[in-house]
Amino acid sequence: MDFIVLAIVLVILISLGSALIGMLRGGKEGSDKMFKALRMRISLSVFLFILLMFASFMGWIEPNYILPTQ
Amino acid sequence: MSNEKYYVPHGTYWPIIGSIGISTLFVGFANQMHDVSWGWPVMVLGFAIIAFMMFGWLGTVVNESVGGIYNAQVDKSFRWGMSWFIFSEVMFFAAFFGALLYARVLSVPWLGGADNNIFTPELWEGFKATWPLISTPSEVGQNGVTWSTNFKLVDTWGLPAINTALLLTSGVTITYAHHALRAGHRNALIAWMLATIALGVVFLGFQITEYGHAYHDGLKLTSGIYGSTFYLLTGFHGFHVTVGVIMLTVILYRIQKGHFDSDNHFAFEGVAWYWHFVDVVWLGLFIFVYWL
Repeated sequence: MDFIVLAIVLVILISLGSALIGMLRGGKEGSDKMFKALRMRISLSVFLFILLMFASFMGWIEPNYILPTQ
Repeated sequence: MSNEKYYVPHGTYWPIIGSIGISTLFVGFANQMHDVSWGWPVMVLGFAIIAFMMFGWLGTVVNESVGGIYNAQVDKSFRWGMSWFIFSEVMFFAAFFGALLYARVLSVPWLGGADNNIFTPELWEGFKATWPLISTPSEVGQNGVTWSTNFKLVDTWGLPAINTALLLTSGVTITYAHHALRAGHRNALIAWMLATIALGVVFLGFQITEYGHAYHDGLKLTSGIYGSTFYLLTGFHGFHVTVGVIMLTVILYRIQKGHFDSDNHFAFEGVAWYWHFVDVVWLGLFIFVYWL
């Protein structure tokens, strides 16, 4: 499960980087590239959040906290 | 774009005002750290000078842009400038995420005797190499170290998850705003921008609430490596959200002034990218601090 989460994070980072290249290029083509990459990055991020909630519900992944120690 | 000559401003006084502001800020900050009574007001004065400089300088740039004295090459320079700024931001957060990774994967296990550090547990008797590192040395007396475990951890499905949902929603709303701008739907653009700003402000409110809870439960900047990395990462992220909200507000003002059209809106693109970046940093924090 950790591997899947990390893989999606990597694709999100690539999308964000691709949007940056689009912005740097400018013009109609760059602007299109930027918008599509950002749309991809937000879609994947929302998917990842839902996946984490679902995986936690199913017990495939455990959150990183320990119960109060006091 | 009407002028083919590369525009260079002459005789501008904003850089020297910025230098005075930064110097004043640091003189105030340094003296405040040494409990000098005038440190705090001087620091506030420094902030005020910097705010004045930002307002004036960026206002000048906006007027120059709207006045049509920038050509395509100046546009390119702005794009490169934004990219280098972003590069510095990425490096900045990479260093803090790197510190978190180093502590979790290397230094804390080493203190617990991992790898070839077989004698370390004898030096630090009673140390438990866990993450989050809840047991930190509180004092070193004659009898050795005493360990304190005096903070509680934040519940992942409480405010952190709500805040993640809030910021992701703001990522969706700014994407709709971006689409509306490109399609020339002005009213939709303004509505989506307002929604994005509102979500950012609510996020900050919840973050302050979360800090209150965490601090009340004993988690402080001094609570060992976990407290330090937690507050540094979330604190600098919160600062970036604050800056992002200010920038979005300025962009909204410029939209209402009619500064952008569907083909020419680099300022919006820069701020939109920055907001997506801040969103991704939070997602990274949520995953690496609370999940993996």
